[in-house]
Amino acid sequence: MHPLALIFLIIGVPAALALAYIFIRGSHSLRRYVLTRIVLTIPMVLILASLVFLVLRVIPGDPVTSALGPKGSPEVKERLRTNLGLNEPLFIQYGSFLGDVLTLDLGNAMTLAQRPVVDELGERLPATLELIIPASALALGIGLIFGTWAAVRRKKTSDYGFRLYSVAIYAMPVFWLGLLFQLLFGVWLGWTPTGGRIEATLGATVDRTTNMLLVDSVLHGNWEAFRSVLHHMILPTLTLGLILSGVFLRLTRINVIETLQEDYVAAARARGIRERVITYSHALKNAMIPVITLIGLQVAILLGGAILTETVFSWPGMGRYLVDRITARDFTAVQGSIVMFALFVALISLAVDIIYSLLDPRVKY
Amino acid sequence: MRRPYKWLVPLFALALVAAACGDDDDTTPTATTAAPATTAAPAQTTAAPTTAAPVTTEAPAGVTLIIGTTDSISGLDGADAYAVHDWELLKNIGEGLLRWEPGSGDKLVTGAAAGFGEFSADGLSYTIALKPGLVFGDGTPLTAQSYADQINDRLLVLEGPGGVGPALGQPYVESVEALDDVTIKFNLTETWGFFEQLLAGAPYIPTNPTQFTAAELNNFPDAPIYGNGPWYIESYVVDEQTVLKPNPTYQGDSPAQVEQVIVRYFGSPQSMAEAVQTGEIDVAWRILGPDLISQLTGVSGLNVERINAGPIRYFIVNHSLPPTDDPNVRKAIAYAIDRDEISDRVFQGAVDPLFSPIPPGFLGANDVYDDVYAAPDVGAATAALAASGYTPDAPLDLTLAYPPEHYGGTVADTMQVMKEQLEATGAVNVDLVAQEWSTYIGAVIGGADYPVSFLGWFYDYPDPDNYLNPFIVNGGLGTMVTDPDTGEGIDATSQELVDKLIQAASTSDPSTREALYGEIQALHAELVVTLPLWVEAEHVVYRDGVSGDDAFGSLVTLNIGPTIEFNYNTLSAS
Repeated sequence: MHPLALIFLIIGVPAALALAYIFIRGSHSLRRYVLTRIVLTIPMVLILASLVFLVLRVIPGDPVTSALGPKGSPEVKERLRTNLGLNEPLFIQYGSFLGDVLTLDLGNAMTLAQRPVVDELGERLPATLELIIPASALALGIGLIFGTWAAVRRKKTSDYGFRLYSVAIYAMPVFWLGLLFQLLFGVWLGWTPTGGRIEATLGATVDRTTNMLLVDSVLHGNWEAFRSVLHHMILPTLTLGLILSGVFLRLTRINVIETLQEDYVAAARARGIRERVITYSHALKNAMIPVITLIGLQVAILLGGAILTETVFSWPGMGRYLVDRITARDFTAVQGSIVMFALFVALISLAVDIIYSLLDPRVKY
Repeated sequence: MRRPYKWLVPLFALALVAAACGDDDDTTPTATTAAPATTAAPAQTTAAPTTAAPVTTEAPAGVTLIIGTTDSISGLDGADAYAVHDWELLKNIGEGLLRWEPGSGDKLVTGAAAGFGEFSADGLSYTIALKPGLVFGDGTPLTAQSYADQINDRLLVLEGPGGVGPALGQPYVESVEALDDVTIKFNLTETWGFFEQLLAGAPYIPTNPTQFTAAELNNFPDAPIYGNGPWYIESYVVDEQTVLKPNPTYQGDSPAQVEQVIVRYFGSPQSMAEAVQTGEIDVAWRILGPDLISQLTGVSGLNVERINAGPIRYFIVNHSLPPTDDPNVRKAIAYAIDRDEISDRVFQGAVDPLFSPIPPGFLGANDVYDDVYAAPDVGAATAALAASGYTPDAPLDLTLAYPPEHYGGTVADTMQVMKEQLEATGAVNVDLVAQEWSTYIGAVIGGADYPVSFLGWFYDYPDPDNYLNPFIVNGGLGTMVTDPDTGEGIDATSQELVDKLIQAASTSDPSTREALYGEIQALHAELVVTLPLWVEAEHVVYRDGVSGDDAFGSLVTLNIGPTIEFNYNTLSAS
């Protein structure tokens, strides 16, 4: 099975089940909200795709000449230009492009033996997911735990410390932090590998069913590979996760502080409920609602960070692919990659909004 | 409330700690880890029975060498692959009829051929014999007929995005015939004196017909990939790694010395430099910038070695546009440019000055530009400019064009240094023009925009012809020393240059060619066709304990010579 299809299946089946639940059991306003949100996603994706199309055609230079350089003969250039449809009028190119996007056909790369961009991305998406999922979990974990901690100890030393941390870590360039970690933990201390997904001698031992090496090594009981993958994940996950944790920490802190001042919290205290239970079972739950919204908004930043993290740590995901194709001036691969990124962000945002509407019954459209 | 999955939390934390404390990173320099059992078993192919008992070669058990690179795989079909790393892999899993001796830039030796071939009396055909009984790693026989089919049906017909057939096949070879089981006859389009050099290139390496069929290109075949060379590709993942194992049926004279070579692909040179420092890889090969080379030099346990060949950088000097249509202006530029200063100020000495269009190590290469111009010679530059009426009061306005992003971040710095050098004559005002690559290269080749423009070059076949011909014939990529339509020289000296170039290309005798290339270089310098600037030297960094084969040259660079070919089979570890 195509890795991209597998990934969409993994995400798509639960999403379809959730939608079915909403449309069968949900209230009328919820159904209307979800339906409207889905319908709005379509023009959003189309606008993004159109922007990508236009920007790549507005920038100066001929993509074919750029990719082939001085060695490309006029005949080869002309053939490639025809194959890419670049000799067609712009509106025909645009129509063809949109049609292809709707069928998830992102065209063929100009380099890499002109393989379909969807295949190229499909092979790399699992690696990106294997990076951004734990990084998101780490960011969220740090944000929720230490944000709540800071809120409870408001205006104490630890609160100031965490606030300082959140600003400092958010302001840090991701590639700089990555390089720092590589030098510190990889080169000087020798605790972790400096890059890659798995130790070179173990790479060929993993049976790549999903191409998410952590999952594959568990599926096939390859524990040596599992340990190596986990070992290799530490630095890139830390880098990306820490950068994102600052925002979550600040948002959690401020929301927990506000929630702790609500009347129902005072009532809970009056009933003699322990402070820890009030904080974590009552205040944090309510404070998490805006945090969930932020997860959707952070996906774009997460993918942007993944591009740099993957390059720094030689992580063979979609981000590194995009950087490599930009370097190779592979016009179609860049176009396809950006559309895929946009699609990814739009779908995650949609999912987050739907989850938000389920969690917060006040949401109406 | 029951929380059935809460045990997962400490388990996950434990796994993280265990991984972090694990000792699976091998920091020994030569990575003597035992190769793990691999899941990819050699494929059962539908190959015809072998015609000869394969010679089994054995490599020392348990030794794995890991080579890092910032290159990546772009395609592995010899009829289409056109990238440096693709050719490197193809030359390690396959062995051409002829090949370059490791470490050498001008010594061809036999590979799959029993001996050197012969040109016909008219020079229009070349006949060569295979060693008898050759087989690919999976047992498929390599015969003269299968090789002829490969060239006729694939290289000369299939046209992929790499454009190898139109560039390195069709212009030179009309067809190939199998005269018997082992004898191959190449019918050439013209008399090509450098045909043996071309034959040693990756497109002419025999490929296994069970994987590379006449029907279509197969740039990403399923592993294992067997050729007739010292290695086979056991598995590969693009952008991650390629695992090579010794070919069990290799019948050549230079078998693999270690049990396994793994090529690891890096996203950034910095990351690769760190990996060689920590011992995650044993060899870092292509491409480390001058800053990293300087950083790694002197690190204990590491050897940083330079190979003075490979990509060259030069100015295209346009002979049909003012002011460089004036020979005095061209000569003034040649007098004024101080290559040593560029190397020192911009590259911290990591590049070598280049004084000929032919880089060092190749047939006939000399230092003609140093002999003629002995640059920097500001006095001579000023005198040449004065001869054409350019003085401090009436200075020459000169435009130098360059692509700021295409050749790395150092280009803008080098252009600034050269601007200062030219302006030091007091009679030149330089205008630096930075242009986006695709617009730039079209303008350079078109020859209508820039009098002087900066370019880089890397060979298609390691022969002087490939460093001269493209810059002279048919407009010469913007030098305009010849008419782009008629191909004739723009004056008598240019025509003499073209004639000698054709003569050298159609001569196969090395000493005759060498003499001709000496004359061509002298004419080149007289005209200043291009202005050679520097060799963008390659560097190989390896850990103590890794070594090449002392039977070949360039031992200190792991037998990587001017051709920039890296033969993994000469590597060993102690």
